[in-house]
Amino acid sequence: MGLREKIADSQFYRDFVQRRATGALRSYYDVPAADPARPIMDTEFIVLDLETTGLDPKRDEIVSLGWVIIRQLGVDFSSCEHILVRPTKQLKESSVIVHRIFDSDVADAPNIKVALEHLLPQMAGRVLVAHHAPIELGFLGQACKQAFGARLQIPTVDTLVLGLRALHRQGKPFKSGALKLDSLRRSHNLPPFRAHNALSNAIAASGLFLAQVSKRDPKGTLELRRVLR
Amino acid sequence: MSIELEEIADFLKQHHPFDLLPDDVIESLPKRLTARYFRAGTKVLSPEEQCLNLYIIRTGGTETRDPDGQLLGRLSEGECFGVRAMFRNGRAANNITTLEDSLCYLLPEKDFHDLAGKYPQFNYFFAQMGGDRLRSGMQMIESRDDDQLKLMSVKVEELIARDLVSIDANATILDAGRLMCAEQVSCLLVTQNGDEIAGIITDRDLRNRVIAEARSYDAPVTSIMTANPISIHPDDYAFDALLTMTRNNIRHLPVLKDGKAVGMITTNNLLARQSLSAVYMAGKISKLNDPGDIATVIAQVPELLSHLIEAGATSQNAGHIVTTLADATTTRLLQLAEAKLGPPPVPYVWMAGGSQGRQEQTAISVQNNCLMFDDAYSPDAHGAYFKALADFVCDGLNEIGYVFGSGDMTAKNDQWRQSAENWLNDFNKWIEQPDPTSLMQCCVWFDLRPVHGTTPLFDDLQRIIVSRAKDNRVFQAVLVNNAMSHHVPLGFFKNFVMIRGGEHDSKLDLKNNGVLPIVDLARIHALANGVNEVNTFERLRAVKAFPSISKQGASDLLDAFEFISITRLKHQVRQIRQGNSPDNFLQPESLSAFERTHLKDAFSVVKNLQSALEGAFGKSGT
Repeated sequence: MGLREKIADSQFYRDFVQRRATGALRSYYDVPAADPARPIMDTEFIVLDLETTGLDPKRDEIVSLGWVIIRQLGVDFSSCEHILVRPTKQLKESSVIVHRIFDSDVADAPNIKVALEHLLPQMAGRVLVAHHAPIELGFLGQACKQAFGARLQIPTVDTLVLGLRALHRQGKPFKSGALKLDSLRRSHNLPPFRAHNALSNAIAASGLFLAQVSKRDPKGTLELRRVLR
Repeated sequence: MSIELEEIADFLKQHHPFDLLPDDVIESLPKRLTARYFRAGTKVLSPEEQCLNLYIIRTGGTETRDPDGQLLGRLSEGECFGVRAMFRNGRAANNITTLEDSLCYLLPEKDFHDLAGKYPQFNYFFAQMGGDRLRSGMQMIESRDDDQLKLMSVKVEELIARDLVSIDANATILDAGRLMCAEQVSCLLVTQNGDEIAGIITDRDLRNRVIAEARSYDAPVTSIMTANPISIHPDDYAFDALLTMTRNNIRHLPVLKDGKAVGMITTNNLLARQSLSAVYMAGKISKLNDPGDIATVIAQVPELLSHLIEAGATSQNAGHIVTTLADATTTRLLQLAEAKLGPPPVPYVWMAGGSQGRQEQTAISVQNNCLMFDDAYSPDAHGAYFKALADFVCDGLNEIGYVFGSGDMTAKNDQWRQSAENWLNDFNKWIEQPDPTSLMQCCVWFDLRPVHGTTPLFDDLQRIIVSRAKDNRVFQAVLVNNAMSHHVPLGFFKNFVMIRGGEHDSKLDLKNNGVLPIVDLARIHALANGVNEVNTFERLRAVKAFPSISKQGASDLLDAFEFISITRLKHQVRQIRQGNSPDNFLQPESLSAFERTHLKDAFSVVKNLQSALEGAFGKSGT
């Protein structure tokens, strides 16, 4: 982890952003962050995926969010949510091709602030899980800053990083593409999934996360800090 | 419902018994599920551990072992575990361990019971899983009850309608007549010293032995009674009672248990058309003088079998009845041979092996039989007589329809006509120096049953075989190895493994891959534990008491045997009804989904007990 992330994850930074946060983000910070010393088994996770109009958080926007909660290392399907977000700018053709969300689909959707007001209470006290988390953190951070005056800090697990660490531990060479969500899932005997949207990706990542933890922590006593990015 | 959860719903729809639920219910299910992941080798549940969910395997596989570590089953994608816990207040019954990395969906206990309460088909599937499920499946099939068939499944005990009426041996004929009037019975049991049985008198005795002979009414009842009457045990089947009565031309049969009379049954108790037809067939055979005529009776066996199966007979009953006719035929041919050749020069016993020995014949049966003589036998002096006898009987049987099989395992073969001493030597050789190839062929002789002749000869041989086989680990290990050569047609993922190519392409061989593996298992456990029985059901019931197989294992195997056997018989009946000649080759598609599931269950029970067998006997290397 680089210095930048260390700072971003520090209590000092949390105190700093908490003071500046308003609205839903303020309430989010009122709930203490998940304790890195707790066993993973007793920690709650929110597995999240989002779709965007591009890859640059500063210029591009979130168009959909999907998430599911993990409790006691079980994916709770009753907690599944998928919401579309109305971007401020017109959708670009290149992004529409990727996620097949059209302007007409998002015409009646809430704007990002309303979406975050719904999402942030779900994130409070939980640990974020995402496949290639910098995207999620970057976009959510940017959106929070614009909507609530401060960036988002949340303990995060990146399933891609866990996959990379596992491959390094095995010491075996691996092909490009081995760290893709679907490849990693296959390597853990998980069923193939159809990447329909943010929620299907979140559910796919949730299964992968369970598999990774079970390999890393057969006894179920591992502390959260051991899997954080 | 969102599209991602639809994927889970689709998965459920493809698997039994979720496929039985209405679409809207299945679609509401994913929201109630939790996914969990277990790496290979994880102990997911242990006996008595709290288990508040039904586990549905999405990917991977698990195995179930009972608290003693006995393997009960393997599960794969789409199958469920934790079922027992659902019916035991959330306490797991068995050990569940993942064999592969597995993703499972967990359905909470409450939702499970909601579904089970609302959808009987769902409840039915789970109410009894594994061996239990098979058993209840059988009950469901058997429940199509037929009054005419009661005799096949009802035990003598259940037929005893009223208390026994008996009279003391000191009473007079007049006393007896008055008692019969007062009690309105047609027969009395004569007892002495309390409840010890002296004999029986019937209204026919009053007519034949009193009135017709102008005997004094003051004479003692003992003067007209039939002493030591033929009797039957309460555990025997009603059918056996009827057969006994027909054969001996009697209408009353005392029921004795441990030497004490517990009741009486009469022909009136037993009138049932189906069984009568079998009994009449046996009776008819015993009066015919020509093999050709007997053949016309035996030609009706497929029809009889169809009646029996359609009326819901168990395979054990059907096998018993059909074999009875083979026995009657054999006995009659031996009587005819003796009439033609003169009385036998030395005592002999005619024995049946294989399916006739086990009383498990079906619509198609080959003959397996042999002859054993008293040790006074001399080949030079008596050889020709018995060769002629064997030729007459075996050729007759062949003509009648009990054809010669491969391997020449009949009394026609000189090798299988010998003195008790030589038989004993043969068995000694097979047991002490077992050779896998010859043993495989000779295993039909380990299912021997005397059909006709001097039975004590057989009893002596059997006693010795059983005691030798019991102690010989090498012999047992060879039997186990042979048994393993009969594969159950089930792949790792519980798919049927069909015959490939040839005349029976894509079919299951229900005899060699279904029935015989269980016959082998039962034989090994019986021989290893000194059990005399040869019928597979009887063997399995008897070995329950021994540690070589778990009680549950033996019960499951009994159910599996009944299920596979009855599936085979139904298949044959279907062919008979279509005017084809019956065989053992089944196309799985001709079964309902329900039957297929149960057939797989049955095969997996066999597979598991084959594996357990290797642990119990095989691979000892000693």
